[in-house]
Amino acid sequence: MIDRRKFVGGVAAAPMFLAAPAFVRRANAQSTLPIPGLYSLSGNFANVGSAMNDGSAWAVEQYGTVAGNKLNYMLLDDRGDVGEAVRKVNDLMAVQRIKHLVGASNSAVGLAAQREAFLRGGIYVHQAGADEATGKDCNRSTFRWTAACYSAVNSTVRPLIDKYPNAKKWYTITGQYVFGDSLLSNCKEVFAEKGIQHLGNSYHSLSDREYSGFIASALATSPDVLAICNFGNQTLDVIRQAISFGMKRNTKILAVWSTGLDQFQALGPENCEDVYFGCNYWHSVDSPGNRRFAEIVKKKTGEVPNYLQAAGYAVAQMLMEGMNKANSTEADAIIKSLEGLTYEGPTGTETIRAGDHQVIKDYYLMLGKPKAAMKDKNDFCDVVAATKAFLPVEKTGCKMGV
Amino acid sequence: MSIQLLIFQILNGIGIGMIYFLLSAGLTLIFGLMRFVNFTHGALYLLAAYVAFALTRSGISFWIALLLAPLTTTFVAIVIERLILRHTYRMAHEAQILITFATALFIQEMVILAFGPLGQNVSVPPQLSGVVFLGPYVYPVYRLAVVGVAAVVALLVWLLIERTKTGSILRAGSEKAEMVGLLGINVDLVFMATFALGGALAGLAGVLAAPLRGVDPFMSAEALGIAFVVVVVGGLGTLSGALVGGLLIGLVQSVMSSVWPEGAQFMIYASMALVLLLRPAGLLGRN
Amino acid sequence: MEARMFPNATTFVVLVLLLGLPFVVPTTLAIQIAAFALGTLSVSVLLGGVGLLSFGQGLYLGVGAYGAGILLRDFQLGLLPSLAAAAVLGGFVACAVGSLIVRRQGVYFVMLTLAFAQMGYFAMLAFKRFTGGENGLTGVPRLLSLFGYAIDDARTMYCLAAGIFFCVFLLTQRLLASPFGSVLASIKQNEARSEALGYAVGLYKTAAFAFAGAIAGLAGGLHVLSLGFVSPNNIELEMSQRLLVMGIIGGVSSPAGALAGAIFYEAVAETLSLIWPRWLALIALLLVAIVLFVPGGLWSLGARLTDLARRRKHG
Repeated sequence: MIDRRKFVGGVAAAPMFLAAPAFVRRANAQSTLPIPGLYSLSGNFANVGSAMNDGSAWAVEQYGTVAGNKLNYMLLDDRGDVGEAVRKVNDLMAVQRIKHLVGASNSAVGLAAQREAFLRGGIYVHQAGADEATGKDCNRSTFRWTAACYSAVNSTVRPLIDKYPNAKKWYTITGQYVFGDSLLSNCKEVFAEKGIQHLGNSYHSLSDREYSGFIASALATSPDVLAICNFGNQTLDVIRQAISFGMKRNTKILAVWSTGLDQFQALGPENCEDVYFGCNYWHSVDSPGNRRFAEIVKKKTGEVPNYLQAAGYAVAQMLMEGMNKANSTEADAIIKSLEGLTYEGPTGTETIRAGDHQVIKDYYLMLGKPKAAMKDKNDFCDVVAATKAFLPVEKTGCKMGV
Repeated sequence: MSIQLLIFQILNGIGIGMIYFLLSAGLTLIFGLMRFVNFTHGALYLLAAYVAFALTRSGISFWIALLLAPLTTTFVAIVIERLILRHTYRMAHEAQILITFATALFIQEMVILAFGPLGQNVSVPPQLSGVVFLGPYVYPVYRLAVVGVAAVVALLVWLLIERTKTGSILRAGSEKAEMVGLLGINVDLVFMATFALGGALAGLAGVLAAPLRGVDPFMSAEALGIAFVVVVVGGLGTLSGALVGGLLIGLVQSVMSSVWPEGAQFMIYASMALVLLLRPAGLLGRN
Repeated sequence: MEARMFPNATTFVVLVLLLGLPFVVPTTLAIQIAAFALGTLSVSVLLGGVGLLSFGQGLYLGVGAYGAGILLRDFQLGLLPSLAAAAVLGGFVACAVGSLIVRRQGVYFVMLTLAFAQMGYFAMLAFKRFTGGENGLTGVPRLLSLFGYAIDDARTMYCLAAGIFFCVFLLTQRLLASPFGSVLASIKQNEARSEALGYAVGLYKTAAFAFAGAIAGLAGGLHVLSLGFVSPNNIELEMSQRLLVMGIIGGVSSPAGALAGAIFYEAVAETLSLIWPRWLALIALLLVAIVLFVPGGLWSLGARLTDLARRRKHG
């Protein structure tokens, strides 16, 4: 029996050093203010998570102190598991009593975590792209930086229609999941309004990689424009394969939702040329906020910033700006001071709308340029349009205070 | 769906099928000759794709990558077999599955460590860029080339297995390893050679796939998924099974994309389950 | 599996582990460990008890999770009924799948479990109107009560989770020590002989599969209760793989290995992920080492060490 207990003691000792971070964290909370960032550094969204995490960490480092507190960035790695993300938010706000949080690597985490944050009376700033986050799932605790599906579609499809008034026939390839469907339904609304002939839609599933069949269906309808309604690597694969089938000759290709530079690098200049992309951020947009941000990134990596880092930076910036204005770290005070706040963010002057806590910012329509016209290795695209396209609060479905 | 589109989907399906065959040949060979399911198949495919990326990124031509990537995976396969797998032959098949699964996970993490988690691009070699017009249809030159390579590989491997002395030794080793040993042939070497060949084929598939869909660390899971389904449907262990399975799955995928695109993935795994339940040896397999 | 006495020293050790856990790890993590230990138990029962390697226990965990989530949220079912429903759902689906697949041997069986796991995942995505698709199912109620006691904070939730795990653990020990368990053990040892002895091997395997599925479903339901959310990860293939990894690390020769494996894996993931994002590589290496050198997993290692200590003590 005693020997078994020794074994138990051994097994119990191992987690002792695992509990240390929690105790240490609690101790630290008194001397410095932790700014937690919720990101996936391993698992499926590691590509997105690590760059966003960098952005948030750099923002915290740059601000240094806020409301009289020294800052300390604290990573909460959800390991690509949405359940783990919810548990960590629960642990952070209910157990450790740290009521502020930034970051989400994808919409699933954003939506689930914002519900948890509201339940715990905290404040949460994230960059997930689902319309619902500041729409029908909005709540008082949540603030969202990214321009979501509605903005993406209206900032890209409308300018493209205006630019090519004779391109009346559109075909869509859509990811058959909540996010893709959201992009598609927004597209259909614009099509209906502008008299666009929606020739057809091809759905594909979340793990599809082979799009030749869908491209063939699209080609058979001879569309003027192919609009791609999905995200991540799937967008890249559809573009690559559409180009390989020669679609670029007779059809304009529009990737409604793109993360910008990192995806352009993944595609290469030959593939980017003449393709339209919708982006939440672009490094060469000149604004004081962007200049400051680009300086930091240059010091850290020697490179220009990409959207992922910008999004990470922006959400942390928002939180700290709110803390500064409120001169407090109480969630309630921060929430009140963030509503209606205007500040210099990575895309220029950004305003946080009080009604739904959505940041009103530009969403860019970009056009890929030929390799010969690239001024440097990052000059993949030109900004064709920059639009702040947002539904009025009444139409978003957001009923805050419920 | 018009007749013209249907015909294209069928032709396209055959094209996809050949690519899937190339992807699955290594897996079926190893199962056929060593009787175990190699979970590292996808990881070697991934490795070759990234080798191609690393080489083309430094300006080395794709053709050299086409040679070096499969050589790299062959080498890695041999290392894995000598260092780890060799000890598991006596063990239950569960052990082998778990070890190759763990090895695959390790390789994937190492790739992320070396190259980062973001997707990357490998350009189609300029000699194979562009499209070719087959009647009313458009088809990328590169895909056609890959289909061609798949056909050649099918022929060469079949010749190797069925018509050479080495091949007959490999086949004999799969049926009665003891007997082969008693005949004075080094069975260990036979297994190593088989695993190496499987690794080479996985590597070839990987480097050829890179310009088609780019490289990213999770392409190993995707490749393994497809290879499993193809090999199960066609027949675990037979090369012709991989060919038939690949063509069938390619056709299903291509035609479904016009008929019921959302259900494609579900149907693929459902057909895998169906075959396993009704005829586990697969369409062309022998029990 | 181990000595056919019930309860035994293992029971005591598991009890001590469960009692001590919330004092060494954050309580929310302890709850998650308990839930996943239950899921891992479903893997151990199959692999250690019957010799069936399942790459798809995540399917039943997911079924239980979504079932419980929908019943709690849309049908306002109470705590115990939802958990019971989760177990029943998991068991029912496992029974259906099991009756089909247990007739296949070895590698074919493994691949069938994989195929069904994948089908479950794509079905979840296809029925996104009910399951929430890739965003999961949110809004599962939090304020629950068990016989009048409120289960609304981490402490009480852990008591519930640990209690449930311990009960199922006892049940599993009892089952494996029973005649039913002996038949399973003989099937694991030599299926042909068991068949020749007159046992309906297929029925026994299906029953074991259904039992394991019920355990996994219960684990899913418990996980949902603790989070107030059904994570899409619960039905992904990665969950099946994770449960299997935990099971192997802990050791499948004893049901207690499930708890050991869950504790170890979660502890390592939690600490290592902050130091090195590629911590999975170390888990992979550990898996290889365990399969090659310590096939009984951590639990057997502990048993070996205590044996060694006991031998040294008694000269």
